[in-house]
Amino acid sequence: MTVAGEKIVVEDRKSTDTALVIGGGVSGMQAALDIADQGYSVVLVERTPSIGGVMAMLDKTFPTLDCSACILTPKLSEVARHPNIELMTYSEVKSITGTAGNFRVSVLRKARKVLEDKCSGCGDCVPHCPIEVRNEFDQGLGYRKAVYIGFPQNTPLVYTIDSENCIKCGMCVKSCEREAIDLDLEDEEIEISVGAIVVATGYELYNVANYRRFGYGRFKNVINALEFERLINAAGPTAGNLMRLSDGKIPKSIGFIQCVGARDATKDVPYCSRVCCMYGIKNAVMAKELQHENVKKVTIYSIDIRAFGKGFEEFYNMAKDRFGIKFIRGRVGEVSENSRNKNIIVRAEDTTTGKFLEQEHELVVLCPGILPPKGLRDTANQLGLQLDSDGFIHVEQPASNPVDTAVSGVYICGCVEGPKDIPDSVAAGSAAAMRASITLWREGEH
Amino acid sequence: MATEEVPRIGVFVCHCGHNIAGTVDVERVAEIAAHYPNVEFATHFMFMCSDSGQQLIRDKIEEFSLNRVVVASCSPRMHEPTFRRVVEEADVNRYCFEQVNLREHVSWCHMREPEAATEKAIDLIRMSVARAALLVPLEVKTVSVEPHTLVVGGGVAGLRAAIDIDSRGFKVTLVEREPELGGNLAKLSTLYQGNEKASDVIERMVLAARISENLTIMTDSEVVDVEGYIGNFDVTVKNNATDKTEKLRVGAIIVATGFQSWVPEGIPPYGMSLDVITLAQLEEMKRDDKLLCPSTGKPPKKVMFIGCVGSRQPGVQGHEHCSRYCCTAMVKAAADITEITDEVLILYDDIRTFGKGHEEVHRSAHEKFVMFSKFDRTKPAKTTVADGALSVKWRDILAGDNLEFHPDLLVLVTAMIPPEGVEKVSQLFSLTRSADGFFNEEHIKLAPLTTHTAGVMIAGAAQSAKDSTDSTTQASGAAAKAASLMARGEVEIESTVAHVLEELCSSCHTCATACPYGAISFDTSKKPEIAVVTEAECHGCGTCAAGCPSSAIIMRHSTDEQITAMVEAFLMPPPVMGGGDS
Amino acid sequence: MTATVTISKEWIPRIAAFCCNWCSYAGADLAGTSRIQYPSAVRIIRVNCTGRVDPEFVLNALDKGADGVLVSGCHPGDCHYTSGNLKMRARWTLLQMAVEQAGINPDRIRLQWASASEGQKFADGVRELTEKVKNLGPFRRGWQ
Repeated sequence: MTVAGEKIVVEDRKSTDTALVIGGGVSGMQAALDIADQGYSVVLVERTPSIGGVMAMLDKTFPTLDCSACILTPKLSEVARHPNIELMTYSEVKSITGTAGNFRVSVLRKARKVLEDKCSGCGDCVPHCPIEVRNEFDQGLGYRKAVYIGFPQNTPLVYTIDSENCIKCGMCVKSCEREAIDLDLEDEEIEISVGAIVVATGYELYNVANYRRFGYGRFKNVINALEFERLINAAGPTAGNLMRLSDGKIPKSIGFIQCVGARDATKDVPYCSRVCCMYGIKNAVMAKELQHENVKKVTIYSIDIRAFGKGFEEFYNMAKDRFGIKFIRGRVGEVSENSRNKNIIVRAEDTTTGKFLEQEHELVVLCPGILPPKGLRDTANQLGLQLDSDGFIHVEQPASNPVDTAVSGVYICGCVEGPKDIPDSVAAGSAAAMRASITLWREGEH
Repeated sequence: MATEEVPRIGVFVCHCGHNIAGTVDVERVAEIAAHYPNVEFATHFMFMCSDSGQQLIRDKIEEFSLNRVVVASCSPRMHEPTFRRVVEEADVNRYCFEQVNLREHVSWCHMREPEAATEKAIDLIRMSVARAALLVPLEVKTVSVEPHTLVVGGGVAGLRAAIDIDSRGFKVTLVEREPELGGNLAKLSTLYQGNEKASDVIERMVLAARISENLTIMTDSEVVDVEGYIGNFDVTVKNNATDKTEKLRVGAIIVATGFQSWVPEGIPPYGMSLDVITLAQLEEMKRDDKLLCPSTGKPPKKVMFIGCVGSRQPGVQGHEHCSRYCCTAMVKAAADITEITDEVLILYDDIRTFGKGHEEVHRSAHEKFVMFSKFDRTKPAKTTVADGALSVKWRDILAGDNLEFHPDLLVLVTAMIPPEGVEKVSQLFSLTRSADGFFNEEHIKLAPLTTHTAGVMIAGAAQSAKDSTDSTTQASGAAAKAASLMARGEVEIESTVAHVLEELCSSCHTCATACPYGAISFDTSKKPEIAVVTEAECHGCGTCAAGCPSSAIIMRHSTDEQITAMVEAFLMPPPVMGGGDS
Repeated sequence: MTATVTISKEWIPRIAAFCCNWCSYAGADLAGTSRIQYPSAVRIIRVNCTGRVDPEFVLNALDKGADGVLVSGCHPGDCHYTSGNLKMRARWTLLQMAVEQAGINPDRIRLQWASASEGQKFADGVRELTEKVKNLGPFRRGWQ
């Protein structure tokens, strides 16, 4: 076992003592922790500059309304501090060969242009950077500089220079007292050997603009749910002040449209995305709670309400009874914009009464479904994994071996297997860790 | 006990974004806290738990030579371990940390009264500062972990956990109270996941369990007693067939005691006719290829399912929850039997086919002409029996019509509820239960597998209603937690135990009677004899300290003085406003 | 000396609460996360178990000027420490007698069970005690 506090050098370790976790969202983080806690080393590869995944972008979580950052932050530091975990953020797995016990993995470490061991995360460079671009972490609603961290709890707390937008003016280099910035740094590819692999590359959200009739991209006051999360988040672009993007007004009436890009075979997404009902309800509750004096009317348009998890049904009832959220059962036909006040008019059929409704909302939030992450097909091909018709990774024996793939030594967790909420992703992360550690144990010498 | 040192307290007030700062005037609170006795430094910050917040605490500890730290943020049940670690990294003993709960207990429950909330925050911090001044460093103890795990329950979750631990090279004992392994899954026909036969799944797993080297299976057996603590539990298992008991020492425990399918005894329409059955009973018929009407012994032509029986009933204790697996199980069973029946009808409220492949099962039921009708589950369908024939009337809320159906077989899709004896299991392992009756996890989002009893994990339907996929996922995950403990070989334990002051003990034995763990014995070599606490046995409840008439028992980290100091700081605030020595 | 009590529109009583860590403190946490609003009069002191609560603590709180005292723990049978709450229940009868003997209205003290899943119940208990104490008015220490 490694002495606490001393960082491992992965190259020194035998492949059968090391696991690779691809993806630093909450599921991958949990997998890494549970492997590392057993004394094995872990290389955690994350594509973006920080671990944390989508959970880091969320404001509150259902069904307890715990704030997402509050419960995630300690996990972020636990991963960053763990003596057995080597973090490779802003990095991508390029190729994998070999078999259980001895996979050869090549990892592209994209040039951050900031030296991780020198940067203290002070942010002194930021005011000097003349380039301002939209911040992906805020869903493009806020701005960042070309030298940036996505969010305050960025882990590791190291700045990144976005080469695409950087004009190499060198202002940041001069401003850095620690001489941590080097604009000449280049991408490098490194090779590591690992005994087991956990794929945890997460998901992406359905692009709601594909539903032209819902007006996303055409009407400013139609936004998607992740944008809504950022708008109500204290660390977000509006410092947590819920407002319309068109005019900064607090919306008095908000409509949430469910199943946008879920349970819809015509859009090639026939499956249920499992989390949208609950995050929709949670966001509706948050709107009421944050602005209880201003937000008068919150309506959710849905088909079935799938409040299936622990405490979910109770939360759904609370939303109805205590927060007065109105639920309308029925698919929305279309939305249009009131040209005078930029309000959004929703037309829907209430299937429980058979009546057609026309309601005006000051803000409409589309709740997108979950898609397999980009690049999952490539990862699957490299590893020889099968995909389901939905594009998620296929599991041969889901009832008994839910995190095993067709390839020995390769395990999956979180949304790569199918949409999942946070507790299910966390449990799957631990499960994949268990299965991966069994591979390491069997392949290793003891 | 540690030598007296002058307390130098730092107070750190967290905004928690706008969670706290949106209601409580954190700036004012920190400003006032700076003037309390012994406070050397006080500040406020956006997120104390973030890396930069943690660094701030460590920096200020060094800068001001702080030896006591008060963080006013969220519930200590959330972040006490985080901040204890932070102060330790700056060489402050973890027991010299004190947390004030400004979020769950102040800002979130007094959102409409910012002034009163701020007053309350000020009081709470003053109370904790008073307590912090009296905190003493305690030695951090570690104990070894017995490399052996106990798995309670031999259903699909227990089997998965036990097999995984065995495969990882650790000793494991699987205890099952029934004569056979397999639990509820063994009663099912084919599973909606991949259409696999349930018996194949169980056979595969039981075989794996039987051939494994480190796995001991004890069927017909129940855990009757648990003593000890994380790393070193002494468990007594009784074989119900032989009445023999066996003692095991284990380092970790996984509770996978599953569920029972609710039988609505005495609640119509159940019991109105032999042909009213539950989905669990239908599954057993399907498994045995004997789908027959119990009254006639003939195959049913018309079958009707009613969903949400005993689930989703607001205000009905233990039946408010959604049972999660039943919608998909119901549509699967309905689709399956279309081939051998004429008509199949489902009454549902919402169809919750949420999981991977579930929507496909739902669609296949539609394709096989299963009829679906949405009803209002709060206005149940009316069932009558005339000449042995069933008739069900209800209102379809989509069509708005009153409908009637005459099924040969009426299947009630009933709730998953905790199994019989759940109270006993909860007491044995000191587990709390949620409103649905299942066991509480340590944290519903980020720690779904561990519990508040260190060293005891939960998995599968023991935690809440769920299907086999979600159960085995949790089981492997819980196995990982146990494996981590065993692989590390040692674990830190709490030092918050009782201690007897010899000179004050009057040998009245009140403490020994009060102790729920038998952790207090008597040193008879002394005259008069005096009470002695076996620290490893002490769980730290403090019942002995409260009972001791001579104040001879110190409850570490929860001393009389520390508690009284909080009460007095609340009610008799020191006159220090605007003063102080900082 | 009573520095924090400024003359305000409405008198807010001062109530000290002893909550066990495993059930009632967690129940109060749940009340918070569920955003259940309840009177702000109560100041919670966390103890491991209600079994830890020495009757002396309650009497001392009243002596020092508390208008009410709440003790809240796990339901009988659900105690994290098996039976600590039962000890508290046994002491409670004596405590009530002692309070009465001292000329204090026993309505000023309350023992309740609220589990980790009963945020509403916890909040209701606080509300009820606060209302009672409000009706009784500020407490003047009887034996001084």
